[in-house]
Amino acid sequence: MLERIEKSSEIRHWIGDMEADHYYYSAGIAGEKFFVALRDEGKIVGAHCATCNLTYVPPRIYCERCFAELTEHKDMGKRGCVVAFTVAHYDKAGQRLDPPESFALISLGPRTTPLLHKLGEIAPEKICVGLEVEAVLKPQREGKITDILYFKPVK
Amino acid sequence: MRDVVVLGVGATAFTSQTPEVNWKELMYDAAVKAYADAQIDPRRDVDSFITCAEDFWEGFSIFDEFTPDQLGAVMRPMMTVTGDGLQGLANAYMQIKTGMFNIVVVEAHSKVSELLTYEHVVEMAFDPIYERPLSAERNVHPYYVAGLEMNLYLHATGTTEEQCAFVAVQNRRQALSNPLAPYGARIGLQEIYRSGYAFSPLKKWEIASRADGSIVFVLAAEEIARRITKKPLVYLEGIGWSSESPWISARSADAGYARRAAQLAYRQAGITDPRRQIDVIEVEDRFAFKELQHLEALGFARPGEAGWLAQSGALGLDGELKVNLSGGSLGCGDLLEASALQRALEIVLQLRGEAGARQVPNARVGVAQSWRGLPHGTGAVAVFARRD
Repeated sequence: MLERIEKSSEIRHWIGDMEADHYYYSAGIAGEKFFVALRDEGKIVGAHCATCNLTYVPPRIYCERCFAELTEHKDMGKRGCVVAFTVAHYDKAGQRLDPPESFALISLGPRTTPLLHKLGEIAPEKICVGLEVEAVLKPQREGKITDILYFKPVK
Repeated sequence: MRDVVVLGVGATAFTSQTPEVNWKELMYDAAVKAYADAQIDPRRDVDSFITCAEDFWEGFSIFDEFTPDQLGAVMRPMMTVTGDGLQGLANAYMQIKTGMFNIVVVEAHSKVSELLTYEHVVEMAFDPIYERPLSAERNVHPYYVAGLEMNLYLHATGTTEEQCAFVAVQNRRQALSNPLAPYGARIGLQEIYRSGYAFSPLKKWEIASRADGSIVFVLAAEEIARRITKKPLVYLEGIGWSSESPWISARSADAGYARRAAQLAYRQAGITDPRRQIDVIEVEDRFAFKELQHLEALGFARPGEAGWLAQSGALGLDGELKVNLSGGSLGCGDLLEASALQRALEIVLQLRGEAGARQVPNARVGVAQSWRGLPHGTGAVAVFARRD
């Protein structure tokens, strides 16, 4: 009774496409810093705001709270803890994901903004808030967020 | 400054598909009803028109060029707000408050059944460098972020999954008494649990289904409205909006956008004790937990308290707080930018005493709250009241 068809493609209709699915996005100054460090040194860096005592991961060139310019960068290390998580069971077509995919907000230290990423090498039912995790990096890196494969539990 | 009142409202029914009309006819239908309700002729009486739309939802570039004719707005001041219906009302409010215009029309709609790639459009709202690539590889549904935010909220407040499931049951039941709502159902907690985790801890039937529909508001300066109608007037007493950080990872657990929007609206409306002063409440509930989070952000409950209120039956026609009697988004469907006006519509009907089986006796003051939906943190709050 709750299931309804929400897409009206079986009636008389005309098909149109939004010609807007090819864009070029620049990494920017802070992004350059983050992705070069990740690719060349395997490091996750953040930008520190001394006024707010807050570190942004990934880095930005300004603080969203006090609007100061951020020039101080920190190596955050690869270990952190899970602040929040979810286990996703559906793909964009509405099909079940098998196995499901786990995502988490991961804090890499006190007074930092958490990083959004995936979790791996752990059964979904074992994931909990506060879980200690570490980043698993690709051996060959290209300067992308997916150079981090996922975060796995610290043994 | 002059006061702003709601002179008329009109709405189509909300349904999962609308193959019988095209998108312009859908808007026309709601507009005709609103103008009849307001007793005005748009070609003669309306000074300015506003639609609330987003090109990607519509499938048009520069959608605002496609809006005048179906509203009676050709050769008139016309603009589009790329935001939700309450943000549209806020613009109309200011146009009247400043004295620039006397009567302003606001329209918002959804023809989402004709958007075949809804999930992809939502995903395209994610940051392209840091966020989109994470879910792209396995084509994961972008609503996974709702699961993350629900987990964050539950952990921060101690709210339980069962309390959230109560909201999904309650709002779908409540929708049975709203003739406009397509998703009313008499279900129990078992059905919510049986639907399973979609994006844990969020369950499938805690997610609002989408719907088509259009809603039109006619706002007017009080003195102008008095000349047109003898009916009791509903005043727009205050309206606010706010956006928090667009970074998914920097999002607050307490819907900070709604808290700030409420502060702004409450200050204008003189609301200092919302729980005591406000008789009817409509808050955004596209994901069941959001209703609880938003009730707390609007000051109707302390953090962690809203879930208990839901569980104890305090949120409903017979409860202490009259919340989402329209059925909310879970009952009316996710109407994109128009969900915000659906909330406002319910408040206006309640304050006029026209809410039928779900009428709150002698409702004087109501609040409507919107959230633009994933992945963003933008919302608005409007306070309406009867003064007679």
